Amino acid sequence: MRETLLAIFIGLFATPLLGGLINGLDRIITARLQGRIGPPVWQPFYDVIKLLSKEKMVVNVWQAFCAYAYLSAAAISVVLFFLKSDLLLILFIQAVGAVFVVIGALSSTSPFSQVGAHRELLQILSYEPLLILVVAGIYLEIGSFKIDDIYAWGQPLIFKLPFLFIALGYALTIKLRKSPFDLSTSHHGHQEIVKGVLTDYSGPFLALIEIGHWYDIILILGLCSLFWATGWIGMIILVAITYFIEILIDNVTARMTWRWMIGYVWAMGLTLSIVNLIWINLA
Amino acid sequence: MAELSFLLVVFPMLAACSCFLMRHNTIYSLIVIISGGLLIGSAILLIPLVPFSFSPKSFLGINIHEILTAADFLLLFIILYFGVKYKNWLINSLAIFQIVLLGYLEFFLINGSETYPIIYCDNLSLIMVLIICVVGSIICVQALPYMKKHETHLKIGVSRQPHFFFVMILFLGAMNGVVLSNDMILFYFFFELTTVCSFLLIGHDKTERATKNAVRALWMNSLGGAAFITALVFIYTRLGTLDMQYIIHADSKSQLVILSMALLCFAAFTKSAQFPFQSWLLGAMIAPTPVSALLHSSTMVKVGVYLALRLAPAIEGLFLTQCVTIFGAFTFLFAAALAVGQSNGKKVLAYSTISNLGLIFACVGLNTPESIAAAIILIIFHAVSKALLFLCVGTIEQHIESRNIEDMRGLYTKMPLTALISVMGVITMIMPPFGLLLGKWMAMEAASSFLCGIVMIAMGSALTVMYWARWAGILMSDPFAGKFKLEKQPVLTWAALFSLCIGVGVLSLLSPWIYRWCIIPIMGSDYLASYSTDYGIFENAFGVFAVLPLSLVAVAGFIIAILAVKSATHSRITMPYLSGLQTEEPRVFKGPMNRLITAEAGNYYLSSIFGEDKLTPWINLGAVILLTLVIGGAL
Repeated sequence: MRETLLAIFIGLFATPLLGGLINGLDRIITARLQGRIGPPVWQPFYDVIKLLSKEKMVVNVWQAFCAYAYLSAAAISVVLFFLKSDLLLILFIQAVGAVFVVIGALSSTSPFSQVGAHRELLQILSYEPLLILVVAGIYLEIGSFKIDDIYAWGQPLIFKLPFLFIALGYALTIKLRKSPFDLSTSHHGHQEIVKGVLTDYSGPFLALIEIGHWYDIILILGLCSLFWATGWIGMIILVAITYFIEILIDNVTARMTWRWMIGYVWAMGLTLSIVNLIWINLA
Repeated sequence: MAELSFLLVVFPMLAACSCFLMRHNTIYSLIVIISGGLLIGSAILLIPLVPFSFSPKSFLGINIHEILTAADFLLLFIILYFGVKYKNWLINSLAIFQIVLLGYLEFFLINGSETYPIIYCDNLSLIMVLIICVVGSIICVQALPYMKKHETHLKIGVSRQPHFFFVMILFLGAMNGVVLSNDMILFYFFFELTTVCSFLLIGHDKTERATKNAVRALWMNSLGGAAFITALVFIYTRLGTLDMQYIIHADSKSQLVILSMALLCFAAFTKSAQFPFQSWLLGAMIAPTPVSALLHSSTMVKVGVYLALRLAPAIEGLFLTQCVTIFGAFTFLFAAALAVGQSNGKKVLAYSTISNLGLIFACVGLNTPESIAAAIILIIFHAVSKALLFLCVGTIEQHIESRNIEDMRGLYTKMPLTALISVMGVITMIMPPFGLLLGKWMAMEAASSFLCGIVMIAMGSALTVMYWARWAGILMSDPFAGKFKLEKQPVLTWAALFSLCIGVGVLSLLSPWIYRWCIIPIMGSDYLASYSTDYGIFENAFGVFAVLPLSLVAVAGFIIAILAVKSATHSRITMPYLSGLQTEEPRVFKGPMNRLITAEAGNYYLSSIFGEDKLTPWINLGAVILLTLVIGGAL
């Protein structure tokens, strides 16, 4: 019981702090790679606090609903992750949040929101099958979808599921909104569709979405960490390296079109996944 | 038992006839409402009686078997009559083929000394009866105000509603007959009766296109009927009985029996409008919307998956079962892809039905305890959610006179409550903790060890999210927030929409108990039920889905979000961002030279990839190859 409460507490309160911190570090490293100094590491928190204190403004009242629904779904999925629940269920709940962001954006009539929402859907379309196949691969290897069974497994999964880890990398890049897949909205303010899917969210509601995004980041990084679930050190090193590669990719690639994204992610990601699934099926 | 079965099967037929004879508006409306109530009542009274089986010996003093034989032939001659009337040689030849085979079976093979029960009702039949009676009756009741408007709109002089309700209620009786039959000949009779009913309903409006689509539905389903009767001849030749329960558990590895199983699967595919037979269900949209609602949710297409589910233990371990999985997963994926390319709301619903039925077939084919449970859960929740969505679209269509999704943009301004209920319907299709997602979760966990299946199901599931989310979003696309003026609808329409909407929520909440009380007994000795459902949490050796806790959290989240909406109504409402000088009009901005420019946005339908004309030929080709695999693999 105490463990459960602790897991819920960590999932609810520690996760956004960690997510914001990672975001802050990301901004510093990105700045250094571009020859800038970058903001202080706490900048994401300053941003969110400022947004929270702003006046509430909405285009459509249901945007408020969608912002809250996104935040709840993201938080629930992370809590379930810390409760070591079912991976597939966690993915489904994470998808609920993603869908509500889209519905909220579609509820505004601004073309920027609308186009951003549709691009977001295409992004979901690109990464969702990969995530499911990653989970299916883990099941094939250890015979369970439950996270506690993964922690109980004797050896790191990455040795048996290397290609699926790369496929997960594609999903991670899309989820982190990094180039070349930052189609629906971007961290950088120079996008052709303004802020895309987030254009008409503002003030406190935008802050909620930002916090939800921190939960999301932790969830996907958590998924990565499962590939080295045998020890803390290996886990942290694997996640750190993966994230650093994400930052590098973000800095050396340009934004591409959705056609390219779907074609590339499905062709490469699915091929890698299927090859890896056949490998464990036969081995 | 006998009385209840009579009420469920024969009574609707009598009620249907009285609808037809008493052509006064009030009288047949009353008959429809009363028979709906009676059907729901008898279905509920059936619950404590299952499982049971019996054989009525005679009806009004005539041997039941003789009545059945006569009715079978009569039905086939009716089909032949329609074939001749519409000069369709395919229907004619299929009808004659069936008459010949039925004659051979009845007069040369069957010796008449069978003692097996004709009616058999277990939990699977019970679930089907409940779906048919409850959802079907709700649809029939909603059809009353709908048809009134429909005929006013079409300016029909002499009302054809008595004919319409005659077939609708007859349909419910026929469906109850299908799921209660144990005698395969009786099953075949009701199977054909649903074909004829759907033919009559699709062609109801008597326009040229309606007739054409109805005739197509008739020949495609006759193909299924022909496969069915062929399978019966093969089975009788080898096993010497048409007792369904015996056939399922005969465990015969005889080639002829396996082939007839494949033929029965083929019949199920035609009924459930799987590729390449999807065109009859798409063509059925020409009919008034309650017909589509009935065909898609509780009747007709559910016959196919019901039949496959019944046969599942018989095909376990065969190559055939894998073929069914591949075929189902293929349909799931590509029907979802076609739905993405559609802007016609009813077509999106139709493809989504085909896609979901494909998933159910895939589950049946996987043939594990989890996947069978998934199939049953999917059948239940698909019926309710799809009926809800069809009734919503029908109501919307009568209001805005379009079924195009683009025309439903910002429907929230015009009909807020209907729009919200539609969004709710969409949410029940794609989000946990609602039943369809529970079924999909079970299906995916069961399919994970079947490589080909999981890849197609994973892709199809992502496509599914895309076409639903897009639709739900633009229903709410509204620049004037905060206004909420309730639209006017007939009481019966609201009653139908609300009961389905609440029903799907309550059923989802109860799903662990539905599983424990209804689904575990169905699996019986054939499968080892694997989920435990303590505290409303589904758990087995490799997965866990906390239905009840998640539902409670979801309800809490919903309340918080609704409170947020309420408080947001008092906040400042701004204009959507248009990257120009804003005007009073939310969609218009001042561009260069002070010109007023209207900003517009449309959905991505990606028709260059997912267009019907692009994909359909290839999909049909692929489906024909897979069907050949299903039949050929059984040889």
